[in-house]
Amino acid sequence: MPPKPTKVTNRIRALRFECGEMTQADMAERLGVTRQTVIAIEQGKYSPSLEMAFEIARLFKRPLDDVFRYQQEDGA
Amino acid sequence: MSHELRQPEDDDPVIMTVDERSVWVYLAVVTITSVAYFAVVVPRALSQPIGDVSWITPMLWAIGVSIVGTIVGSIFGSIGGAIGLAIRGIEPKGQLEGDLRDKDIKRLGDSRSALVSGAAMLGVLVLAMIGADLFWIGNLVFLAGTAGAFVEGVTKILAYRRGF
Repeated sequence: MPPKPTKVTNRIRALRFECGEMTQADMAERLGVTRQTVIAIEQGKYSPSLEMAFEIARLFKRPLDDVFRYQQEDGA
Repeated sequence: MSHELRQPEDDDPVIMTVDERSVWVYLAVVTITSVAYFAVVVPRALSQPIGDVSWITPMLWAIGVSIVGTIVGSIFGSIGGAIGLAIRGIEPKGQLEGDLRDKDIKRLGDSRSALVSGAAMLGVLVLAMIGADLFWIGNLVFLAGTAGAFVEGVTKILAYRRGF
């Protein structure tokens, strides 16, 4: 059964590796969530709250739209 | 003998949180007890007048076993999860306890469940208004609860597995 995609895409996986190959568990610990949640966000199976999205962006020291993108209907 | 527990690497298998384990247990227990209840009561209802059917005791058993089974199963599921991680040498802390995502999934499942149970309750109201036998009223309430629980469980599992 294919995962249900959200319209929010992200670059978390790439950014984790840019940040010293941070593991999912490391990232989860820093955000105060489970590794399962990090994986779900990374795979586009869960759209984080706005607050968590800002926390993730802050963790990578990047602006929010450098981490998350909102996929429009026309694919833009 | 002491074992050093490590944080999971990205290629370690993803395990279920306590909340997700509890949903699986809840869904399994409710399905088993409901099927068992109807397997006992439906043949009785088909073979004798509705007013004579003994349904209260089986229903109390079904409800009791559902509650106790879910609690006990969830506890064993949690312990099993922690043991499974420890055997693989992975630190259970941060892997099992729920977080915001679990709360969001719970909210989603609860709202769908309330929708189904609430709709079925309208049927109960109609049965009471027309003076139906208590058998029908009691069993429609039970069915509403079962349907609500089933929708809740399936909604949560799909949210965990497929996303939402």
